Amino acid sequence: MAGETEDLLVELKGITKSYGPVQSLRGVDLTLRRGEVLGLVGDNGAGKSTLMKVLAGAVQHGGGEIRVHGRPVRFANPADAQAEKIGIVYQDLALCDTIDVAGNLFLGREPRKGPFIDRRTMHEQAAQILSDLHVKVSSTHQEIGTLSGGQRQTVAIARAVSFKPDVLILDEPTAALAVAEVESVLRLITDVAARGVGVILITHRLQDLFRVCDRITVMYEGQSVDDVPIDQLDIEKLVALITRSEPQKAQKEVSP
Amino acid sequence: MTATTAPASTETTRQLARQQSWWERSNKATMVMAGVTAAVCVFFALASDTFLTFANVSNLATQVAPVLIVAVAMTFVITAGQIDLSVGSIIAFVSAVSAQLLAAGWDSSIVLIAGLVMGAGWGMVNGWFTAYAGIPAFIVTLATLSVIRGIALLTTQGFSVPIDFDTFFAQLGSARWLGLSSSAWIALVVVVLGLVVLHRTPFGQYVIGTGAAEESVRRAGVNVRRVKLMALTLSGLAAGIAGILVAARLGSGSANSAQGFELTVIAAVVLGGTSLFGGRGTVVGTLIGAILITVIANGLTLVGVSPFLTPIITGTVLLAVIWVNLRGKDIGQALRSLVAGR
Ligand SMILES: Nc1ncnc2c1ncn2[C@@H]1O[C@H](COP(=O)(O)OP(=O)(O)OP(=O)(O)O)[C@@H](O)[C@H]1O
Ligand SMILES: [Mg+2]
Repeated sequence: MAGETEDLLVELKGITKSYGPVQSLRGVDLTLRRGEVLGLVGDNGAGKSTLMKVLAGAVQHGGGEIRVHGRPVRFANPADAQAEKIGIVYQDLALCDTIDVAGNLFLGREPRKGPFIDRRTMHEQAAQILSDLHVKVSSTHQEIGTLSGGQRQTVAIARAVSFKPDVLILDEPTAALAVAEVESVLRLITDVAARGVGVILITHRLQDLFRVCDRITVMYEGQSVDDVPIDQLDIEKLVALITRSEPQKAQKEVSP
Repeated sequence: MTATTAPASTETTRQLARQQSWWERSNKATMVMAGVTAAVCVFFALASDTFLTFANVSNLATQVAPVLIVAVAMTFVITAGQIDLSVGSIIAFVSAVSAQLLAAGWDSSIVLIAGLVMGAGWGMVNGWFTAYAGIPAFIVTLATLSVIRGIALLTTQGFSVPIDFDTFFAQLGSARWLGLSSSAWIALVVVVLGLVVLHRTPFGQYVIGTGAAEESVRRAGVNVRRVKLMALTLSGLAAGIAGILVAARLGSGSANSAQGFELTVIAAVVLGGTSLFGGRGTVVGTLIGAILITVIANGLTLVGVSPFLTPIITGTVLLAVIWVNLRGKDIGQALRSLVAGR
């Protein structure tokens, strides 16, 4: 990945976020280039999901700067981030249980015929998206609440991908998936990255990171503490980075 | 799933998008209700000679109209996971203030518009406090229930205000077309509008989504605050329409009218199969629920039992039907697995 600035999709600088007295993000830097797969790792509660919600416009950050395609932006709501072609699969999936598969895929951007939802087109396009991605559901009319955990997850991924985003954020996309489905997701990640999409992958399955990522950013207690190309890492080193157990890393930690 | 963009066979695609059977799509709770309503109608038809006469059916349509108009809007509110307890007070307010405006010499057409604006306005007050100030709709509308009727009582000092029979406003109350009252026709239009908007438009989809998982809909880029504001504005507007119709039919406006109306309306909505927890709504069910409640009251009067039995029987039916619906889900599931078992 060449370090040319026109390749920079996303730059986060010194992002902070507080929930009342809880400071979830205490200054995070992150960069993402075109066609790059970035692994974002850290302990439970390190602030990975919060950071991605900031980047997707779902929560608003306190301080710091977001640049997309080099332009400073501030997202007031998720629609603003969508307009910048940022797509996300949330850790909690953000689906509506009582709405059918097609309705969830097109939630907020339903195909219309005058003032009405064009249900025919919506279901046809939904079926197209699902069969292109080989998502295993029996019907686009099935309610999301009746799907299995893995099916729900693949529908959420299909939704994010179908936006044709420039930046694709995947927050633990494989947590509920069977072996074959995990392979599919990993293949999907390399495919979209080859097309120039920047991908941010959050996962606790470290072996997956070594298969698809170009670079790893490590978060610890609300801060970004390391940014390492994948070829300088192996599993042990990565575990040490996440747990901050190595003595030479400990000095990088902020004193409480 | 893989990212291969090679088009999947059109056969699988068609299979995926195939419409489900009518049975799979139908709301089982609503079907139970339709059955119960039919049974109750048959019972009253046998028990009373006059129940099935055109005059009584037309009368029934007029009686059901105000409940139905507000219940259709309440279906949106409840489906969105909200509640509006203030509709009875809005009816009283609109009917009392409209009568006062007419008495003050305002033209009927202006009073009609004012009635709609007052209803929608109170709805927006409820909606603003709920959606933008973050106070639960139950609390907001519990407070406005008291405030709105209070204002109406204060301005009328509790007296009923007569409406001059010569006004167009009053004539609206007695107007008939094809044997049905204006109220009944307006209710019919509201039902059709409600059906189309809830089940065919993006707004309807967002109402359902907001009730099911508000945060998910918000993250999909939808302005859920506006959805909630609009739902509560709709119920206010519907209560305004009902207030006008009630005042026009009675020929007077009273701050004491429509006491407990909100409970009748909520009962009709829930009877029809709309989930009180939000996320699932049916306008057809609400139509059936409103008809059932009205038929019970009307039929019991015709059969000649004590009018005090009506609330007891209505409440018992409400409880019984909800109970059957909860069991019915299990029964329906068992049936479906039998039918679909391949
Ligand atoms: N809505 C909220 N209100 C208060 N605190 C919150 C909220 N959301 C997150 N937090 C806090 O922010 C911190 C970071 O949470 P976050 O979900 O970003 O962690 P994470 O790195 O994604 O962890 P995991 O690996 O478990 O998913 C946690 O301490 C959490 O308690
Ligand atoms: Mg997380």
